[in-house]
Amino acid sequence: MDERRTGYLLTVLLLGQLVLVAIEGARSTRSRTYAEMIGMRVLGPMARLVTAASGGAVAAGHKVELQGQLLDENRRLRRDVEELRLRLLRLGDVEQELARLGDAVRYSAPLLGEIRAVDVVYADYASWLRSLMLYTGSQPAVVNQPVLSSAGLVGRVVVVAGPYAKVQLITDRAASVGAMILRTRRQGVVRGSGQEGGGLSLEYVPVSVDVRPGDSVLTAGIDGVYPRGIPVGTVVSVEAGGQLFHKIRLAPAVDLGALDQVYLLEHAPLPQQLVKAVPNARR
Amino acid sequence: MRAAKLLASLAFAVLLHLVGTRLLPTFPERVDVFLVIVALSALGGSTLQAMLFGLLAGLAQDTLASGPFGLFGFADTAVAYGMARLAQRLVIQRATGVFAVVSFASLLQQVLVAALAFLLLSNPSLPEPLGMLEQAAAKAAACGVLGMVIYGLGGRFRLAFEARRRGRMGRLRLG
Repeated sequence: MDERRTGYLLTVLLLGQLVLVAIEGARSTRSRTYAEMIGMRVLGPMARLVTAASGGAVAAGHKVELQGQLLDENRRLRRDVEELRLRLLRLGDVEQELARLGDAVRYSAPLLGEIRAVDVVYADYASWLRSLMLYTGSQPAVVNQPVLSSAGLVGRVVVVAGPYAKVQLITDRAASVGAMILRTRRQGVVRGSGQEGGGLSLEYVPVSVDVRPGDSVLTAGIDGVYPRGIPVGTVVSVEAGGQLFHKIRLAPAVDLGALDQVYLLEHAPLPQQLVKAVPNARR
Repeated sequence: MRAAKLLASLAFAVLLHLVGTRLLPTFPERVDVFLVIVALSALGGSTLQAMLFGLLAGLAQDTLASGPFGLFGFADTAVAYGMARLAQRLVIQRATGVFAVVSFASLLQQVLVAALAFLLLSNPSLPEPLGMLEQAAAKAAACGVLGMVIYGLGGRFRLAFEARRRGRMGRLRLG
């Protein structure tokens, strides 16, 4: 091919990609392209292989050390299980009481839904375009499915390609979560800063509201993606941002750098009235 | 054969990126393996080949990143074409020359990515300008070093392969 034709091809390729980036950049939600899904299907197994190999290497390296620690760990875990059983018993009582009180005022709190453990096969939480790729096995994830860890909210699924799913972390520059401050129940929007360190900010909280460092922030269940009550982060600093709203910085509840397994929230239950009104809706 | 070589080098870049990220979480921030491979392949001087390889490598990088799909694809395609045009005019024989070219390619790519993000994304959240400059310079240097190492190793491998092939041919003639 001569240089002129190569130049034309270059122009077409660059313009095509420019349009693709512009369209995606203008949208608030991520759209999936077939090329990206094909890419995930090709690169996903490689990422899984590397994760498995590195896991094996680390395990082999620590084998002797691990054998020595196994008894201690076993003892500690048994103690943890006992404590958790006791806590579960207490929570069972609380749950029954909540249900009884709910019945009295004809209110049913939305349930969190079932969770499913999946493996993280690729995690880049340090760079500007941070991302997380999951291997979900035979049951694929669903776009917008919330992703949690035992400590709190991780993000949501944005692209699904067979058994692989790409997650938008809550610290991503494009992420936003409807949230509330636990102590005051005041709602706002948590946004990812996208900056180094992976901080979060809580926006649209009026200056008249009492916010203190150390306050816990949970999902508010108002964005249609995340159910209510999942820990998002803790208030680190509160500054006077402008005339109307506080400038609040949060530390994420989850250490995103230490994730090797996360949980997919299987489904957010729909309100009963909506289920009755739309009988064929996916539940 | 040429296409197989390029695909093998792309697979190598993906593996290096994945292993690097696994071992050192800040690896993608420090080195861009995809860019290094793209720049080295562009040194061959074929603009079409460099461009298509840049596109493929960029899209692979986009698959692993969370940004809009096509961001690195655009940057790597443009950089690969530019580097191939440069290679048609320059003769690069020394490793230091490779260092300079790959570092320049890395800087160019980062400028393109930042400019695209700034112009087209609704909330680019780019790092502070000074920090970004420092980071870009460090990344360009790291890419240059990696490029130099891969170029050097590739050269040695080629020489060893040629010597072995010549030896085998000699034995065949004698036998």
